[in-house]
Amino acid sequence: MDEMDLPQMKKEVESLKYQLAFKREKSSPRHMVKWIEDGVPEDPFLNPELMKNNPWVEKGKCVLL
Amino acid sequence: MGEMEELRKEADNLKDQITEARKVVQDTTLQEAVAGTTLVGRVQLKTRKTLRGHLAKIYAMHWGTDTNCSKLCVSASQDGKLIVWDTLTTNKVSAIPLKSSWVMTCAYAPSGNMVACGGLDNMCSIYNLKGKDGNVKVMRELAAHTGYLSCCRFLSDSEIITSSGDCTCVLWDIETGTEKTIFAGHLGDCMSLAVSPDFKMFISGACDFTAKLWDIREASCRQTFSGHESDINAIGFFPNGNAVITGSDDATCKLYDLRADQELITYQDSGIMCGVTSLAPSLSGRLLLAGYDDFNVNIWDMLKAERVGVLAGHDNRVSCIGVSSDGMACCTGSWDSFLKIWN
Repeated sequence: MDEMDLPQMKKEVESLKYQLAFKREKSSPRHMVKWIEDGVPEDPFLNPELMKNNPWVEKGKCVLL
Repeated sequence: MGEMEELRKEADNLKDQITEARKVVQDTTLQEAVAGTTLVGRVQLKTRKTLRGHLAKIYAMHWGTDTNCSKLCVSASQDGKLIVWDTLTTNKVSAIPLKSSWVMTCAYAPSGNMVACGGLDNMCSIYNLKGKDGNVKVMRELAAHTGYLSCCRFLSDSEIITSSGDCTCVLWDIETGTEKTIFAGHLGDCMSLAVSPDFKMFISGACDFTAKLWDIREASCRQTFSGHESDINAIGFFPNGNAVITGSDDATCKLYDLRADQELITYQDSGIMCGVTSLAPSLSGRLLLAGYDDFNVNIWDMLKAERVGVLAGHDNRVSCIGVSSDGMACCTGSWDSFLKIWN
């Protein structure tokens, strides 16, 4: 990591002031858990029903060219 | 006290205030919130296709997103080629020879009309896939970075964002080939970037061990996420855009909540001692697929933070990974010169 010079340091301080001003929210992880759990039935990697017609798997044994 | 010393003190003071502000909004931990959640069952994905054709290490891949190309992907290899693949048939839609073989990244435009790449040439080259005579040609060469191009992502056919070893990220106007905005602030090489689902923000991971969230139009750094103990090599948005996932040389992945501005959880295992090279969440965000230096991809239950599967099949480092936009397949690219499609 490089040492900052004076202009960079000034910009870093300005940036930190701006970042401090960010309006943080008490965002409960429960919202994320619910969002994920609601989406699981539509997730092809977790719902085998969705992969019954897998486009990457050959249907028949041979392909007529 | 010199001006530099005063500024340093002010910076440290501001960082302490940010730490305090984060504590104020701390709610239950993710571990507490999922105490009653069952671990996802063992996830076993099989290799459905192997894309053969590159003659050297593959460094990057990116899925197409438009409905016309959602089964297509582009890959970049240090054999000096960009290949656009039809992953269903394994046919090469385009094989594009590059001026510089030292390529480190590639991207597919959301429209499917263009691809881009770059690397040690410090440039981002844009290729038009839909040229009149059917030939794929260089459309623009975006040159201004003073370090290698580590990553690039299109916002549209007219704008692209790049990250570089010169510690900056840049928003470019592809039409004019000029820099619209320079995002400076990282203190180490920028290694990776990802654009938010609403295209208003992007995140960058760097060798200063931090990830930064940038507002594209305001041209400012909104938030900085620390915690990693080494370079961040891979970064991605959680599918709903409210969280950020990072992967690092410190052998861990982390999940950061954007609204609370803090780390939610770390994905680590005492048995994993090698760096994370790449990552991609599954469609629902329940699974995290992460590529490591030990040739494997580990699949994590993102809520319970435990490993629930592994993709083993490459004979060298997995350098890149992506999940298709419909969530139906995962593509891995490796230094063994092959790409594999899994589901």
